Amino acid sequence: MPSNPLALIAEITHRCPLHCVYCSNPVELSAAASELQTEDWLRVFDQAAQMGVLHLHLTGGEPLARADLEELVVSARRANLYTNLITSGLGLSRERLARLVECGLDHIQLSFQDSDRERADWIAGTKSHDHKVQLASWIREHRVAFTANLVVHRQNLDQLGQILLFLETLRPGRIEVAHTQYYGWALKNRQFLMPTPVQLESALGVVAAAEERLKGTIRIDSVLPDYHAKYPKACMGGWGRLLMLINPAGAALPCHAAGVIPGMVFDNVRDRSLQSIWSDSSAFQKFRGESWMQEPCRSCERRAEDFGGCRCQAFLLAGDAAATDPVCSLAPSRGVVERTLRESPTDVISAAALASDWTYRPNPTRT
Amino acid sequence: MGCRWNREGEEPMLLFPEGAIKVQGTGLAILDLCDGQRTFPEIVEELQRQYFGADPKRIREDASRFLEQLHEKRIVDF
Repeated sequence: MPSNPLALIAEITHRCPLHCVYCSNPVELSAAASELQTEDWLRVFDQAAQMGVLHLHLTGGEPLARADLEELVVSARRANLYTNLITSGLGLSRERLARLVECGLDHIQLSFQDSDRERADWIAGTKSHDHKVQLASWIREHRVAFTANLVVHRQNLDQLGQILLFLETLRPGRIEVAHTQYYGWALKNRQFLMPTPVQLESALGVVAAAEERLKGTIRIDSVLPDYHAKYPKACMGGWGRLLMLINPAGAALPCHAAGVIPGMVFDNVRDRSLQSIWSDSSAFQKFRGESWMQEPCRSCERRAEDFGGCRCQAFLLAGDAAATDPVCSLAPSRGVVERTLRESPTDVISAAALASDWTYRPNPTRT
Repeated sequence: MGCRWNREGEEPMLLFPEGAIKVQGTGLAILDLCDGQRTFPEIVEELQRQYFGADPKRIREDASRFLEQLHEKRIVDF
């Protein structure tokens, strides 16, 4: 029997007022009409808590788009889950924020795109920056954990130092610098987002300096981009090992992107209990443990550390979900990644030239 | 700071953004006293009462080190 998950990621809607070009949502968004009802989520949270899940991440899309968010937070808190709201902040008034904290919200993770309003709004495809700044000051009025999240890529890495200085002024407890991961919409826009080696090198220094400067005041967590790494990331902490994701329509997935792997069947929380999906469903068993591994993973001494990397990336880049993650320097298919890195332009393309070419993430259809 | 003290499960856990720590023994006694009201000297005083017979200086040092570690990770503030 596998041990139970520690965290539940609840993508409660794919509706979103932002259209970020690096969005990690699947290209096939869940239609608004297919979304789970309030009582489905309440049942799921109770089941998760009973399984020993500690953390609940309410995300989307934009979770604020659901009118029942307050009710969801109350029930999560009642179930004793540590509840995190991952949000763009758009549509959050001072009053609704106070209400959500009152309902028992523990942590707010607010996303930023840049420190410059125009650039930020350009990346998000929506006017949103000014409101985020205002919202940050309201968040500080409450006793709630506050993380400022920044997704970085070629278009904003050159300003990283400046952006970190800006984020500090918002006084979050934590800053998360997350390199774009190439799934969903980000993969579509990869040629515009892949950082240059020079940018990466300098980003490491900028982050290290900020960590030193902010020690004891703001914690900085930085997620490195895997295309440039020697070994793959331990994606989701291993397939079906620590995390479970429920999409807006109720399908239970081992990760955000698992829907891209052909032939996968995802059980729905409308039909089965969370526990039975976790323990017995074919999707969660598919790449759990080590028996699915091929060489060089199968005999690799790092296999219990990185679990062969990401299954979705293996499929997307190497065409085989059971292959070693192509970002691994030991992977037979590493050449695909090398080629992508070689072919991505080394200069930073100007904003104006790009805007007409990249794909903004749209809103899901109603039905 | 948005950390939450969860004593209801089988194992007492300190929950915070993206993480959790199992707390045992004296750590438990210290966190039970962190209620957002008591000051550090008051917490130490209370611990010295609870652990009467133990070296009071040692208690102060241990409590200080424990909370410093949590502070450095930005889990608690004081």
